[in-house]
Amino acid sequence: MDGRSNYDETISRQYRELIEHCKSHLEEMDDTLPEPVEDFQTLLQERGISRRSFLKWTSATTAALMLSPLFRPMVAKAAEQFSRLPVVWLHFAECTGCSEALLRSSYPNVDSILLDTISLEYHETLMAAAGYQAEENLERALHDFAGKFICVIEGALPKGMGGKYLTIGPKGKTGLEIAKEVTSKSAAVICIGSCSSFGGVQAAKPNPTDAVSVGDALGITTVNLGGCPPNPANFTGTLLHFLLFGALPPLDSLGRPIWAYGKRIHDFCERRPHYDAGEFVEEWGDRGAKKEWCLYKMGCKGPYTFANCAKVRFNDGTSWPVMAGHGCMGCTEPGFWDTMAPYEKPIADKTIGGGEKTVDKIGAVLTGVTVAGIAAHAGLSAIRHREKDKE
Amino acid sequence: MEAIVPKKEWSAAMRINHWATAFAIVVLIVTGFYIAKPFTIGAGETVDKFFMGSVRFWHIFCGVLLFFLFIWRIYMAFFSRFHADWKDFFAWTDWKNFMKQIKFYLLISNEKPEHNYLYGPLQALAYMGLLFLLLLINLTGLILLGAGYDAGWTHLVYVALKPFETMMGGLAMVRWIHHILTWCFILFIVVHVYMAFWYDAVFKEGTISSMISGRVFRRGHNE
Ligand code: HEM
Repeated sequence: MDGRSNYDETISRQYRELIEHCKSHLEEMDDTLPEPVEDFQTLLQERGISRRSFLKWTSATTAALMLSPLFRPMVAKAAEQFSRLPVVWLHFAECTGCSEALLRSSYPNVDSILLDTISLEYHETLMAAAGYQAEENLERALHDFAGKFICVIEGALPKGMGGKYLTIGPKGKTGLEIAKEVTSKSAAVICIGSCSSFGGVQAAKPNPTDAVSVGDALGITTVNLGGCPPNPANFTGTLLHFLLFGALPPLDSLGRPIWAYGKRIHDFCERRPHYDAGEFVEEWGDRGAKKEWCLYKMGCKGPYTFANCAKVRFNDGTSWPVMAGHGCMGCTEPGFWDTMAPYEKPIADKTIGGGEKTVDKIGAVLTGVTVAGIAAHAGLSAIRHREKDKE
Repeated sequence: MEAIVPKKEWSAAMRINHWATAFAIVVLIVTGFYIAKPFTIGAGETVDKFFMGSVRFWHIFCGVLLFFLFIWRIYMAFFSRFHADWKDFFAWTDWKNFMKQIKFYLLISNEKPEHNYLYGPLQALAYMGLLFLLLLINLTGLILLGAGYDAGWTHLVYVALKPFETMMGGLAMVRWIHHILTWCFILFIVVHVYMAFWYDAVFKEGTISSMISGRVFRRGHNE
């Protein structure tokens, strides 16, 4: 009895303290951050997002961040502050797919409006400036917001040839140089996508440019939003967490926020009951595919992948890969281009040394050879030891 | 008078451990291959079926059983009151005898190698390898188990083993290594069973029945 009430008391005290911390932090932000360019509530109205939809989004985001409903007003407040957080967005070795996914979603929900208002001090794809002018913008941002801005990085850093596989801007600085300079002045570094988080496709075998993740290249701790591309909700959620508490969310051992990457795809998959039942799609477009059975045999890597895709989904909760009918490719995991192959077959069909040799084929041949050897040995032993017995 | 007499070779604990391990491994191989490449259960309604679920249950049941059997076996190697055999696993360090044993197995020489340890030199090496395989398959198995169960001791074990998972290159690689190890077990079993029969036939000491009765038959005095 006593222990129970003690426990409850501790929990409510911790909540009170956390809420206090959150409130005072939000107020502090009010004073220190630059003024917003547009009022967020007006913007929502203009875009046709009702108050009701905004509240719904607030509840969903609060829950996704694993916070109690008590935090809803603060999440709403943080969303209003969103556009005031200065962001410097760097591009290295990548395809810009993450930017595309984040900024051009066809369903304008609150997440994408937040991303439209984001205060990008520097973003190579989106800025109007070019050449020396762009360079000046970056320098000004580093000067004006030193220690306050968030550095978002898209793309891996090639280390080969002293980093010269990647040079950017009129001064021909290498990616390594730029990354070192900018991250040293930022409040936090968020790696967006598999490339900056874990190296991505250019770090896949044989990795000719010796590309590595930002964390590995610079030896710093980064928030790694794995995914190819990652879910916009995971990016906005992480920034909201920073606005709410002035700190980055708890990370797993690979630097991924636990609130988003703490659980396996497989364990929250809507097709999971079909896995447990033993109902599998055997071929694209077969009866099982029409009945939305489990995609394990079509190479789904959900059992090896940690992400919240099944819960949060993409494009305003419309769909996600497994729902659309293709297995998960494991894109939130390090080195997935190599470790998750073959993408449309179970992992047991992984081949060794190119070609067609799978473990099962090699194993069967070895077993066959062993059995043949045994048969020969048994025959010879029979002759040899019979002779001996006769002696 | 010297005669061929029964001699106790294996304690009851060792025999139980041996057959329980054998049983667990056979079930694990069969269920494991189903998990790796399942076939579809087509008939019936989804709600009435739990085939993969049951296969996984038995795999995990036998897996955890194997884990405890492994711990027990290691314990016996050091603390068995009948015969703690950890030193016998190093019989292969006697290189002269090792070569003799190879010649004898390859039917080149008829000279029987000395029997100084519980195991022959090649046998000791193979069993050491088996213990290593068991360690690895338990490790990878517990990681695969813990990844799906976010509660209880499986979770605690998973947190402790997470660095190994990262070292191996993620869960997919852990699963693949687990699969490769499965084939190592199959190869071991094939050779192990053959060698047991071979010994039985060539030495005529009752090798096969010894793992049931605990006794081999050797020249010597009655105990
Ligand atoms: C001789 C011992 C064992 C054999 C032969 C064996 C075999 C296998 C095989 C072939 C697979 C499928 C791998 C693939 O997808 O390619 C598998 C999966 C698995 N094994 Fe084992 N295994 C053994 C021991 C263990 C142990 C000791 C444990 C844990 C305590 C374990 C737990 C698992 C789990 C959890 C899976 C994955 C199941 C799933 O994700 O649904 N196994 N095993």
